[in-house]
Amino acid sequence: MAGKKEVTVVTYRGIFQEVEEARGMYSDGYRDQSAILDLDGGDAKALGVEAGKPVLLENDSGKVVVVAKVSEDPHPGVAFMPASPWSAQLLSGEVREGGLLELKRFRADVSPAEGAVTSIEEIRERIGAP
Amino acid sequence: MISVMEVYKLLPKTNCKKCGLPTCMAFAVELLGKRKAIEDCTPLVEEPKYEKKLAGLRELMAPLLSADATETGMVIHTEKCYGCGNCVVACPVNVASDPKGTAIGRGPVSGKAILMVEDGVVKCVNVDQCRRFGPEKVLCNACIVTCPSKAIEFI
Amino acid sequence: MAFCTGCSLLCDDIEVDFEGAKVKKTLNLCRKGRAHYDSLVVDRLAPAVDGSEVGIDEAASKAAELLGGAEKPLLFGWGNSTLAAQGAGVRLAKKLGSVIDDPSSYSQGLITEKILKGELPSCTFDDVRNFADVSIFWGDDPSSSHPRHLSRFSYFPRGEKRQRGYEEDREAIVVDVRKSPTAQIAADGFFKIPPGGDAEFAEALMATLGGKIPKVEDKKRMLNLGTKLRKAKFGVIFTGLGLAHSRGGDLGPFFTLVAKLNELARFSVIPTLGDYNTRGFNQTLFDETGSVNSVSFGGGVEHGPEFGIAKYLDICDAVMVVGSDPAAVLPAPLAKKLSEIPMVAVASQRTLTTDAAKVTIPIGVAGLEAEGSALRSDGVKVDFDAAVESGYLSDVEVIERITEAV
Repeated sequence: MAGKKEVTVVTYRGIFQEVEEARGMYSDGYRDQSAILDLDGGDAKALGVEAGKPVLLENDSGKVVVVAKVSEDPHPGVAFMPASPWSAQLLSGEVREGGLLELKRFRADVSPAEGAVTSIEEIRERIGAP
Repeated sequence: MISVMEVYKLLPKTNCKKCGLPTCMAFAVELLGKRKAIEDCTPLVEEPKYEKKLAGLRELMAPLLSADATETGMVIHTEKCYGCGNCVVACPVNVASDPKGTAIGRGPVSGKAILMVEDGVVKCVNVDQCRRFGPEKVLCNACIVTCPSKAIEFI
Repeated sequence: MAFCTGCSLLCDDIEVDFEGAKVKKTLNLCRKGRAHYDSLVVDRLAPAVDGSEVGIDEAASKAAELLGGAEKPLLFGWGNSTLAAQGAGVRLAKKLGSVIDDPSSYSQGLITEKILKGELPSCTFDDVRNFADVSIFWGDDPSSSHPRHLSRFSYFPRGEKRQRGYEEDREAIVVDVRKSPTAQIAADGFFKIPPGGDAEFAEALMATLGGKIPKVEDKKRMLNLGTKLRKAKFGVIFTGLGLAHSRGGDLGPFFTLVAKLNELARFSVIPTLGDYNTRGFNQTLFDETGSVNSVSFGGGVEHGPEFGIAKYLDICDAVMVVGSDPAAVLPAPLAKKLSEIPMVAVASQRTLTTDAAKVTIPIGVAGLEAEGSALRSDGVKVDFDAAVESGYLSDVEVIERITEAV
């Protein structure tokens, strides 16, 4: 039943994410708290995705592999992701009608993935920080 | 929270009275109240046919019997704790004993607070002052409902 | 007592024992603040040019050269700087004739600006603790980002007119797209809305307050909310990025709602600002220019979205980033643009931004290694001392050295 689904991703900041960032943004801890995607239970099932397994998030701006989590509360069609260099890979840089840079919300395809979670070193390379 | 039924289901259910109590149900109540130990049920610990139940009961009771659990059965999961101080400020014992500190949202100043945030997480001291422990055993849950991450529970 | 500059609550009741630079024990400091304290010994920086370590004087003069030689420099960051450094930054921008901006240009700058202009009513956190009976958290999850928000001020403590605290005297309402930790606490005060649905919610509430039937599924619940708000003695709305970003920055319906609420009761707005001194920068720049961000000192004083980092990266040819990490926050295409521009990074810890910088200058952590002042997100000024010695310069010292060398 594996497949691909387009979801609206909304970003947030978690406390343990902030804690790990203070302890070093290149740490495994920061990656573990940031490179995740909270999926609705029904959406996860339809995709054939289990909690703890890698998923690919992709849109016209970029793609990343992160770890899927499954929420207790329902939110079909919407997924939540910590605001981080991982989520930033999927933002286009468009400035919205009210004049604000779009930072909070994007649409992306989610599908089960093989392979490792995208590392921050790879993101650093992509954005051109030597 | 561990229920009496959950404990009872893991006992021999023979009402053999070897523990000194009339029924296994009564033993379950005493076990939860930590007035009897698992070892007091000699058939459970001695007879091989109860091996699985014994293992299950030890696992069920582990958090209650661990060093984490205070006399009141309060367990603080420090790995979940935000150090937000909600429980510290909401605790009625803190409020009553520390009007110039925790009652008004600040750190404790009176030396009588029973909940405080140390090293970024909540810590319980002088737990005998908790209202659940006192003679009236009030089912106070201020520190549970005020927690953003379910880091405190009573078992 | 020690201070914490981990967020814009600027807690001042922290007790700490140090062993050298390492924190041994803390009291009253939340989980996030403790991580902030622990960061003193994590990923610290040395002055560097093109990746090679140099002396601080060389780094400062290289920075001055980089900025002084540019046609369209940008000075960005400032939310994690002391008031003194922010003032020095504005003076440097004037000397260079450069653009100056902070992350509020892509977060809550508009709300803060309206408050400073007196167009949006506000109050202090102390007023909240003493008087607020209704606290609304809109697109805001302070339990995660400002952990002591609810326990120090907005929901749990007792106050002058709120002697029975959250039990009897206060309500918490949360408007959000997900059941955040703050929503968890609000329990049945939580109103879940779809992403981008804040305007509709505000309009439904407006209708309710105007005596009309709101266009929502659960009309009864909305009507009850309207009644509650109408009866409020002292309401406060705490705003977060969820609201600010809801309709790409169009906050018209929200502002209209606040005005309507104030016809019926007293309602103030306090934004929950991310960095510890965003309010300080906004106030400093506002006092100087009448705008809170996105200002150009190029030919006189101009302001506008073209001078916000999102647009200015298209044309700027040099940038100094102070205490901020835009390379980690900005959308990838913009982060890429940023890293291609010759950059000076002034920071206390290694980040994606410092990695992309040509010149790196380390500073001490304010409130721990350096003294200074800042404004809480309610505008109240806090002065703090250093708690430990370190070899690092303070942020104002670095900015002033660069300014002198330009």
